Amino acid sequence: MSDEKSKVSDKASEIAKNIWLAGVGAYGKAVDEAQGRLERAMEPPKLFRDLVKAGSALEEDARSALEASAAAKSSVEQRINRVRENFHMQRPARIEDIAALQKKVDQLSRKVDKLSRALAEQGLSEKPAGQRRTATAKVTGRKATVKPSRKKGAPGGGKKA
Amino acid sequence: MKTRDRILETSLALFNAEGEAHTTTIDIANEMDISPGNLYYHFKGKDQIIAELFQQYELALGSTLTAPIEQPLSSEKGPVENNWYYLYVVMEEMYQYRFLYYNLDDILQRYPDIRRSFKRLMQLKRAAMFAICQTLLRRDIIAARDQQLLGLVDNMTLTLTFWFNYEQLLHDGRSPEVTIHQGVLQLLTMVAPYLGDKELSFYRDCESIYATLLQATG
Repeated sequence: MSDEKSKVSDKASEIAKNIWLAGVGAYGKAVDEAQGRLERAMEPPKLFRDLVKAGSALEEDARSALEASAAAKSSVEQRINRVRENFHMQRPARIEDIAALQKKVDQLSRKVDKLSRALAEQGLSEKPAGQRRTATAKVTGRKATVKPSRKKGAPGGGKKA
Repeated sequence: MKTRDRILETSLALFNAEGEAHTTTIDIANEMDISPGNLYYHFKGKDQIIAELFQQYELALGSTLTAPIEQPLSSEKGPVENNWYYLYVVMEEMYQYRFLYYNLDDILQRYPDIRRSFKRLMQLKRAAMFAICQTLLRRDIIAARDQQLLGLVDNMTLTLTFWFNYEQLLHDGRSPEVTIHQGVLQLLTMVAPYLGDKELSFYRDCESIYATLLQATG
């Protein structure tokens, strides 16, 4: 990173910090105001109780906010993903999309070819082969017919060993 | 679902549909087929319901807005589009509590506590928009100087905050889909002059989706 650029991003993060601090400051001021009102309006024992109550409420808020923040992060990611899918469904197709689709179809058909070749070979070798091989071949055969597009084949199921 | 939660949910739906000012606790009880006494057992009035709804909103939107500040939405080489999709997420979240925005001045004047929290949320919105713009700047997606960038951030926050209000006054009764999509398009329109060609294609997609949506809704 060049000097000038890092200077720019330093400056930028400084500004970000200031904006952030202003937000926190507003929050602090809100707490100050609330306390000021309490001090003016109430006799000592009630004030004390209220302050404790307010304090514990704040603490609880802070704690639940912390707990929620980890969960929220993943949920923001999930929701971004959902929006992306939705967006891709709606937007007009581009040449890249069609190319990507063709590539996928090619990959799939190659996989199907491999699988059916493997099936054919196993079908041929079924009689002469020993017990163990037959067992694997059966399993593989079943899986391959059910889900020909799945990558996770059983051993010898067309995927390169 | 507990009666208490049901009251909150019904109130939110009624506030959004009819406006908060026109909805009474009697309306809410009627809508739920419970007695006003039963509602009063859970909430001592509309003020308390609004306060609690706002708390829900603050918690939800607050944590969404913190996400880009804590950590960029797209990693160094990750897809930049995540930042755009994120705008949908924020707008969708705001749309769920849109009654606040339809009658913002009035509500903020009547509830000083909400006013304070709302100001905090707006600061958080600004910080989130700034964090996004900063990420884009660092990755050379946009080119803007400090002062421009701050202006851009404020414009985005402004649009984000008053979009529903504006949209409702201009085109009453549009579908949520169109409203939210146009809101995001509007935000992107402000970023667009700073974007390079590659990212502009995203903007074009956004435009054509908007055109399709408009055609579909007539």
